[in-house]
Amino acid sequence: MAEGSSNLRGYLVRLAVLVAGLLVFAGASLGHAFGKVPTGPTIAAQYVGTVGIVWGLNGFLFRTLPLSGFLLLVFSAAIFGVLFLLGYFFQSVAGPFVIDNAGQLVGLIRLTDLIFYAFALMTIGGAAGCAFSRNIIYSAWSLLFAFMGVAGLYVFLGADFPAVAQVLIYVGGILVLILFAIMLTKQIGEDPKLTNAHLALPVGAALAVVTVGTLSYMAVMAPWKLTEKPSYEPVSAALGVAFLTDFLLPFEVASVVLLAALVGAVIIARKEIKEQSDTVLE
Amino acid sequence: MTSIGLPHFLIVGAALFALGMVTVVTRRNAVGILMGVELILNAANVNFIAFNHYVEGPGKITGQVFSIFVIVLAAAEAAIGLAIVLAIYQTFRTIDVQETDLLRQ
Repeated sequence: MAEGSSNLRGYLVRLAVLVAGLLVFAGASLGHAFGKVPTGPTIAAQYVGTVGIVWGLNGFLFRTLPLSGFLLLVFSAAIFGVLFLLGYFFQSVAGPFVIDNAGQLVGLIRLTDLIFYAFALMTIGGAAGCAFSRNIIYSAWSLLFAFMGVAGLYVFLGADFPAVAQVLIYVGGILVLILFAIMLTKQIGEDPKLTNAHLALPVGAALAVVTVGTLSYMAVMAPWKLTEKPSYEPVSAALGVAFLTDFLLPFEVASVVLLAALVGAVIIARKEIKEQSDTVLE
Repeated sequence: MTSIGLPHFLIVGAALFALGMVTVVTRRNAVGILMGVELILNAANVNFIAFNHYVEGPGKITGQVFSIFVIVLAAAEAAIGLAIVLAIYQTFRTIDVQETDLLRQ
């Protein structure tokens, strides 16, 4: 009985803190929007409000993750960062798209750069995890991040159809195929040294550094003939027309290649089953 | 105009290519080698589309057409490669590329 009442009191305290956090957050936002409160105190008040909201919500949602002390502050900071980016996006990117204010333009550039660097970090981090992880199944999962990051880069380059094809074919097809192959060959936990050779890590890292250095030097120093105004128009219709006019022969050959690959893969992979059926027939 | 340009994408492509090459060179697991090949193909695709966007200009999509063909061939390569890996596993009971050095059973 006493335990029940203390539980109830705990819930009420959490609820009160949640409401107080929401009020602080909304008050700070409104004060900044209408009352000309400066940015620094607004952000501080909003962060305090976020901490209160997170602590209050922790009594009802995600209760398996008990937040307290330093962990609570870090978790709230992460959530606040996400909220901040979302609000920033809607305020300065999605809202007034035509920008004539120099300060806002600088902010827009920073946000665009931020998104590019996030995708680039995701891509390279996934590829590095694929290259240097000891466990083959971790490599496959890091490959997922590399593929998704590359799809984001395609969107960044105005290539909508290749981005969708990347997600559908690589993430939905090839990655699942690779995971199936790993599972079917069952060498995940049995022999850990199978994943890499002995000298692999230092030699491989040196090779990667040399290659990246050479190619990056070339990419920065070469005098590329850049176009003045890159376009971000949708390209799916133009791609379809190009496939059926200029690239008709490669298109048909690609379909034949896919058919041959399909039949070949089935024949190669079904060898064991065919032998078994032969023995059954005998 | 944004400050992100062609060299940024080329550097990302270079990093992808280098890491894929490292994967191909250092892995002893045949499936791992195939994953490295996929990374290398992705690096080529990033370069194709970056050049299409920044060099080829608006209205021209040859780079994107090539990237679609590369994706098609990557799918075929993955299917065939993984089928071969499964056949090797059924024959040798291992997919360590340093042990599978016979073309017969």
